[in-house]
Order: sequence, then C-alpha cells, then structure tokens
Amino acid sequence: MIRNNVTLLDIKAGEKAEIVSLAGGYGFMRRLQEMGLIPGQIVEVVRNSAMGPVEISVMGTHLAIGRGIAAKVIVRPVRRQIYGR
Amino acid sequence: MEDKKEFVVALAGNANVGKSVIFNQLTGGNQIIGNWPGKTVEKAEGFIEQEGVRIRVVDLPGIYSLSTYSEEEIVSREFIAKEKPDLVINVVDAVNLERNLFFTLQLIELEVPLVIALNQYDILERKGLSINGKKLSELLGVPVIKTVAVHNKGLTELFEIVRNALLKGEKKVSHLRYGKEVESRIKELSEIISKKVKTYYPPRFVAIKLLENDPLIKKEIKDEEILKKADKFRKELKEIHGEEAETVIISERYAIASRIAESVIERKSTLKESMGDWFDKIALDKVWGYVFFILVTIGIFYAVFKFGSFFSDLLSNWLESFKPIFMRMPLTPFWNKILWDGIMEGVIAGIGIVLPYIAPFYLILAFLEDSGYLARIAFLTDNVMHKLGLHGKAFMPLIEGFGCNVPAVLGTRIMERDRDRFIAAILATLVPCSARTVIILGLVATFLGPVYALIIYVLDFILILITGRILNKFMKGTPSGLIMEMPRYRKPVMKIILKQTWIRLKDFVYFAFPIIIVANVVMEIFSIFNWIKPVANFLKPVMTDFLGLPPLAGITFLFGILRKELTLVMLSTLYHTTNFAKVLTPRQIFIFGFVTMIYIPCVATIAALKREFGWKRATAVTVGEFVGAIVLGGILNQILKLFMP
Repeated sequence: MIRNNVTLLDIKAGEKAEIVSLAGGYGFMRRLQEMGLIPGQIVEVVRNSAMGPVEISVMGTHLAIGRGIAAKVIVRPVRRQIYGR
Repeated sequence: MEDKKEFVVALAGNANVGKSVIFNQLTGGNQIIGNWPGKTVEKAEGFIEQEGVRIRVVDLPGIYSLSTYSEEEIVSREFIAKEKPDLVINVVDAVNLERNLFFTLQLIELEVPLVIALNQYDILERKGLSINGKKLSELLGVPVIKTVAVHNKGLTELFEIVRNALLKGEKKVSHLRYGKEVESRIKELSEIISKKVKTYYPPRFVAIKLLENDPLIKKEIKDEEILKKADKFRKELKEIHGEEAETVIISERYAIASRIAESVIERKSTLKESMGDWFDKIALDKVWGYVFFILVTIGIFYAVFKFGSFFSDLLSNWLESFKPIFMRMPLTPFWNKILWDGIMEGVIAGIGIVLPYIAPFYLILAFLEDSGYLARIAFLTDNVMHKLGLHGKAFMPLIEGFGCNVPAVLGTRIMERDRDRFIAAILATLVPCSARTVIILGLVATFLGPVYALIIYVLDFILILITGRILNKFMKGTPSGLIMEMPRYRKPVMKIILKQTWIRLKDFVYFAFPIIIVANVVMEIFSIFNWIKPVANFLKPVMTDFLGLPPLAGITFLFGILRKELTLVMLSTLYHTTNFAKVLTPRQIFIFGFVTMIYIPCVATIAALKREFGWKRATAVTVGEFVGAIVLGGILNQILKLFMP
C-alpha cells in the first residue's frame, strides 16, 4: 500500500478527491462509510475554511464534517481531466 | 365475519426525509417537524381507523443504517425486529435515491413487508429529473408510491396500498445478492445460524451483521462456533479485498444501491445551480455567514419585542376596562377579590403579558425550523461548540431551547455520546426559553429599553460559554466530531408553519394557562389571609439584603419554578399593576430579569432531566443553577450599585 497522508482538510473548495481510507475509531468511520464515504468514491469539497467544518458533496447530498474527523479521511486528489468519472 | 384486528405500521427511513410529515398527515398527529436531521428522537404513535380497520402507526427516528452506532438506530432496529410491525413504510427522499436505497436494502434484509413512499418528489421534478417508479418497484420487489407529503399529495394512494397489503397479509421476501465471495459466506453462516440459534432477527440478517462486526448482534448470538466462523470469514474477506469486511459489505451494498438508482432515474433537462447553493455562499461564508446570523437573531428578537409590546398594551388595556363591570357584581368582597384579583388578573396576565410575545416567537421559530437554516447555524457554530466540548449538532437542541427547554433536553439525543449529551442538556437549560423571553422583553426591554434586554442575553450567552468550558474541562473524554447531512432549503409551507405554531401554543393555552390562573388564585388567598408577609420576611435576607430586590420578589421566584412566566405574572398580581416601573427601580428590574433567566429550570425541565439522566444528575443541575443564579445575581447587584440607583 502506498503511504499517503493527504486528507480532506488539504482539498480546496471546488476540488474533487477520491476516498482512499478512513483512519479512525470503529463508530465514526462506520458512520462515514454509511453516509457514502467508501473507498473509491469521488467527493467534491464545497467549503473548507479554517473557521468551520468541511462541507462536501457526496452522492448528491451535502455533508458537514468537523475538522477533527475530516483530518482522518485519507483521500487522493482528483485532477480535472477525470472530472465526473 | 371479519374480526376487528389492529395492525401495526412503522414509518422508517433516513433522517429528514419527511417521515413525521407523513405521520402527521396520516394520523392527524402532532409530531413536531422541521427541516433538520434528528428532530424525532423517540418513536411516536398514532392511530388510523377506517372501515373497520384499525392501524397503529409508529413514527421511528430517522437513521442511515441498521447498525448500532447511535441510540436512534438501536430504537428503530429493535422495534422493527422485535415488535414485528405488519408493515413498514420506508420513506425515501426521491432526490437522494442512492443514499436512501442503502437503507432500504437493509430493511429488505430484515425481511419485513415494505412499501416505499418516494417523498419530496416535487423537488426532484424541479431539478429536471424523474424516477421510473414501476421499474424501481420491480427491481426491489416492493410497491413504490410517489408522494409530496407537505402538500398532502400521494398519501391517499399510499394509504390504499398499505391497507390492501395489510388485508392481504402476504409476506413476500426478496433478497438482493452481494458479490460472490460475500454471498457464499452469508449463505453458509446463515444456514448454521438457522439451525443452532433462535433470534428475533432473520438468520440472513444476523449473518450479514456478524460479518459487519456488529457488537450488539455478537452479544445476542453468544454461540462460540458461529462467532468463530464469522471471525474466520471476516479475515478471509479482508485478505481477498484488502479492506475490512464491514467496508467490503458497505461498499457492495452501495454498489447495489447506485446500480438501481442509476437505472431508474431519468433526466429530462439539465441541472442549474440551485437558489440554495447560491444562498449558502452568504449563509455559510466565514465572515458574512456570522454577520447574517447575528442580523437574523437581532431582527427576530426586535420583531418579537415590537409586536409583543404593541399587542401587550392593547390587550391589557382592553381587558382592564372590564374591571368596573366585575366590581359592580353583587358579591361579597372576598369573592369579588377572588374573581377579579385572582382569576381575571391571571387571565389578563396570560393574555396580556405572555401571549403577545410567545405567539410571534413560535411562529418565527417554526419558520426557521422549516426553512433549513438551523443546520447552517450548526455549521457556523461548530468551532465555538468545540470549545464547549461539543460539536455543531449540539446547536440544534440549544436553538430548540429558545422555544422550550423540555424538547431541547430530549433533543440532545442526537448527540452520539452520553458525555456530550449531558453537557448539551445542561447548556440547554440555560438557554432563554420563550417564557424567559417574555420576562426579558415584557419587563426589562419594556421598562429599561431593548439595550438592557440585549445585555441580559449577552450575559446569559457568556454564562453558557463559561459553563460549557468548565464542564468540558471536568468531564472525562474528548469531544466527538460533527458528521451532519446539510438539509436542502425548503420554501416553508404556511399550513405546516401555522400548525407547528399552534401545537406549541396549544401547550401554553391548555397547560400553562390553568397553572397561571390557579397560581394567581392561590396567591390571592394568601394575600387575603395575610400569609404573604411571613414568607416574604423569611426570604428577605437573600432577596433584599443580597440581591437588592423587594421581599415579595422571592415569592414570585417560588411560583416561577412551576413556569417561568409566573414570576412576572405574580409580580403583577402582588402589586396589582402591569406598570412595573412604578414598583421596581431600574436596578431591581435588571436583577430580577437576570436571576429569572438562570435561577432554576422549571419543573417540566427538571422532570425531563430526571428522565434522561436520572435523579442524581437532575438534582445536581437544579441545585447548581439555583446557587449560581443567587451568587451571580448578588455580585451583579453589587456591581450595578455603582451605576444604577
């Protein structure tokens, strides 16, 4: 496995990323998976400022994720070319 | 002859898809609804009786999954599995088909008879999309009905299908297949389970949940051989897929859901940026979002104050004008006093002082709840909440606390952990509820000016912040994080807003009003027999010497424990006037408002605390806030002596 420490926090608003893995406790990670954050899923970051949670768009809904949890969502940035997979 | 049977139908689905709206429409029930995830924290029941069929309808809390991550999920899962409703109406958000089907698939795994209500269908159409309901119904093996619950569309058809399904009583079970590796293991495991153990749950469901490592199911099964086998399978799946078994299963379930969703959604025209996205650019902006929030809050209180004080004067004067008529009645002075000073003054206080403020307040609150803006406030305040040891979701029960602290305390159940819940509940009891708003607006704002009212609010918010910080420090555990679905904005439906307002007002009219009047009569009797003085004298050291209030104020605080409005109502009864500037100094008005704001949660809130957290913690909160209010009020009094007469 490739070591990767890009997290949701590193993705700027308007950019997309692919979920790689979730690095946290059973409960929360499970909840995130059930909300659609499964490996391979592409999400778009809608809002990301140090003042508040990260807002992402996944499967057509918007999800607010606290910064502490967003830091545990490992992602791979998606380049514009693969836009809309 | 047909025997009259009672059927049980449960409403289940994701959070904030409209279950409670459908529940209210079907049963004529009074569930509080609103546009944010997690209003319904407890199951509610209602009945439909039609043509000899009696149906008990149960509204379950909204959940995303049938795992056992939160209290709501356990409530819903156990209800469906153990009480075995005759039918489950799965309310599905048409706009979010894929995510919602993820839950539908699990309901199918629970093997309960299902009917799907494809709700909020109008919003989907506005987006230029449509869903092939027939195809969806074939793929899932379940009837599908399109509904727009807020406008009461499609609910008659829904009821017809539910009724027919109940009367036919057929139980068709359909299965959705996972990938080969997972499916073969589910099969093997469920075969052993069906032979060896008896559970409430279907064996296939148990097998799936064991592979997902569900802690509650593991506890229930206990059988060593099965658990060992499940563990072995989990390891094998992890080896094959390179992910934990639960991740594999969740991914595959989502794959099924998205395959189904893709094949039934039809696009008619292209999407454009919705008004909501555009509005969020302001409402969630790191600067403008807060500016907007503060403006909205101040606007609301100013509007309530202006409206309230206008009608308060109007109504009080009008009701007071009846006094001569009452005085001319041929009664003994005793009964005359009871009738006017006891009963009528109570009525005047209720209608004249309280109603003009809480009616517009509830109306605006219902509007806010329905619009979807509340969840935006939760988003904005997430960082501040973290400093209090909570996360943004705590803001929803806290905001509800502005209406009444009781649902706020119950509403803390949307917090995932007990520690977070308790902190949120304590803070919720400090939120100025509508009763306290009446006192602050009707007394402080009216006789000292709106700025002083604002100062009391600010002091209260500072107190909430400090209390939160202290609790966060002394209660073990780190705060958990926010995961919240952002609801779409919705154009509030007038009929629903008015109904919401009425549900809350009804509570005031039927429940609080009698208390106000009875308390008033009791007080009048006390005053006729001269019993007030001894009580007042007893309270004098604290009330007068420390807080600088008239001794009589202590008595109003005693009544205020029943309902906070009573402090002001009793004040008007004791002094026989609603012009409080005549009987209290500005400093006394300020201190009175401040102490009332925080001195004790009312009995209803104490009862709610007891129910949620037990006697010990309820008592601790009550005593703590009482002592806190007296001490802080006293200190404030000493400070104010320097500025105010």
